[in-house]
Amino acid sequence: MAKLLEIKNLHASIAGKEILRGVNLTINEGEVHAIMGRNGAGKSTLSAVLTGHPAYTVTEGSVLLRGKDLLAMEPEIRAREGVFLSFQYPVEIPGVSMTNFMRAAINEKRAYEGKEPLSAKEFLTLMREKRKLVEMADKLSNRSVNEGFSGGEKKKNEIFQMAMLEPCLSILDETDSGLDIDALRIVAEGVNRLKTPHNASIVITHYQRLLDYIVPDFVHVLADGQIIKTGDKSLALELEEHGYEHLT
Amino acid sequence: MHLNLKNMDTSTLHKGDRFEHVFLNEPVDIHIIQEAGSTVKIHILNLPSLQEKNEERLNRIIIDQTGPNCTTEIYGLAYLQGEAKVTTETHVNHLVGEGKSDQLIKFVLEDQAQGRFLGELKIAPDAQKVESHQTNRNLVLSADAEMRTQPQLEIYADDVQASHGASTGQLDEAALFYMQQRGISKQKARQLLVNAFMMDVINTISEESLRENLINTLSLD
Repeated sequence: MAKLLEIKNLHASIAGKEILRGVNLTINEGEVHAIMGRNGAGKSTLSAVLTGHPAYTVTEGSVLLRGKDLLAMEPEIRAREGVFLSFQYPVEIPGVSMTNFMRAAINEKRAYEGKEPLSAKEFLTLMREKRKLVEMADKLSNRSVNEGFSGGEKKKNEIFQMAMLEPCLSILDETDSGLDIDALRIVAEGVNRLKTPHNASIVITHYQRLLDYIVPDFVHVLADGQIIKTGDKSLALELEEHGYEHLT
Repeated sequence: MHLNLKNMDTSTLHKGDRFEHVFLNEPVDIHIIQEAGSTVKIHILNLPSLQEKNEERLNRIIIDQTGPNCTTEIYGLAYLQGEAKVTTETHVNHLVGEGKSDQLIKFVLEDQAQGRFLGELKIAPDAQKVESHQTNRNLVLSADAEMRTQPQLEIYADDVQASHGASTGQLDEAALFYMQQRGISKQKARQLLVNAFMMDVINTISEESLRENLINTLSLD
């Protein structure tokens, strides 16, 4: 199996406060990794650092994506290289329609890959096809990005965008938060259907619940900015039963 | 209704008349006296790709609502680059009751551009049942650009609905990052946000051909 992502001794801070204190993690193509941990353990910081959020500073360590230095890339280049973040709190962008937003994203990625932009017809066909995957209403694509979307619609919209962009590495940051059981099932099925032998996912979650639907190959426990334990899916069940207390 | 606005100081809009005009990079210095039931809808647009970058301009509109049931709508959009300096002044006087006025004035400032909005609104003591809204929103895209905004409200009647709001800020960093995370360059993301900001005003232009023309010329779509 080809190595997709290699994180070595990653340290990162925000406003001078160190949050990640030496994370090591290797992800191969075709794998699903769950990262669990308490609030403040550094889970969301890890996703922010991998996607290049400007508020965080990497102070030590390296991250390679298919052998390329991920940390040297601008956020949009990371995205075009195939890193996708399903945001915990998707951002509302009033006045920017889903269609214009998605067209810009698709065509800038295609330009980066040396491909022609999609024609209007090809683009709309693709939108229609991918919307079905998450049972997203057609009317949502005429609206401004995430504006006035319910919590469930926002998360479906994240997975819809993931389907459009076909990333090699998807990071799902607390995708289950704020979802009722039906929306959770739709979102999880969408994620599962997008799985191929060549892409991989990092599923960040507090709860075992999501992992009933998106079954991980590995479960990592993040505490105080480090991965302190790695296991298979049974580790998630163990955490559900005994909490994080006995690990730390 | 056509008003001869060339070299005009004061014009009267007679009972029930409607005057609508888009001033696109044209000098504006007008005083309109509105009689009962008349309607004014004015756009003042100062747009970059269509004009000299370093111009200085004063836009001034004075409106006197002298009869009941008048409606006044004033929309302003200035997108300034280089060392452009634009001041937009609106003076709306509700001299009698039962009138409406709506104002939406926006500035986008780049480089060393300077924008100024002075919005004077008066509601006379007897001018009851007036409904009046004034909104000023400004986007400052450069540390060297400067916006000054001065709403001046003098409301002497007590049974009125009046609101005003002014805000000056930068582009939403969270929205920029969200778009970059989808592979959109920072430059394109900024452009999408600025376009959205401008479209609010462009969308209020009644004449479809002019609206479409502006959207195309400014690549807003």
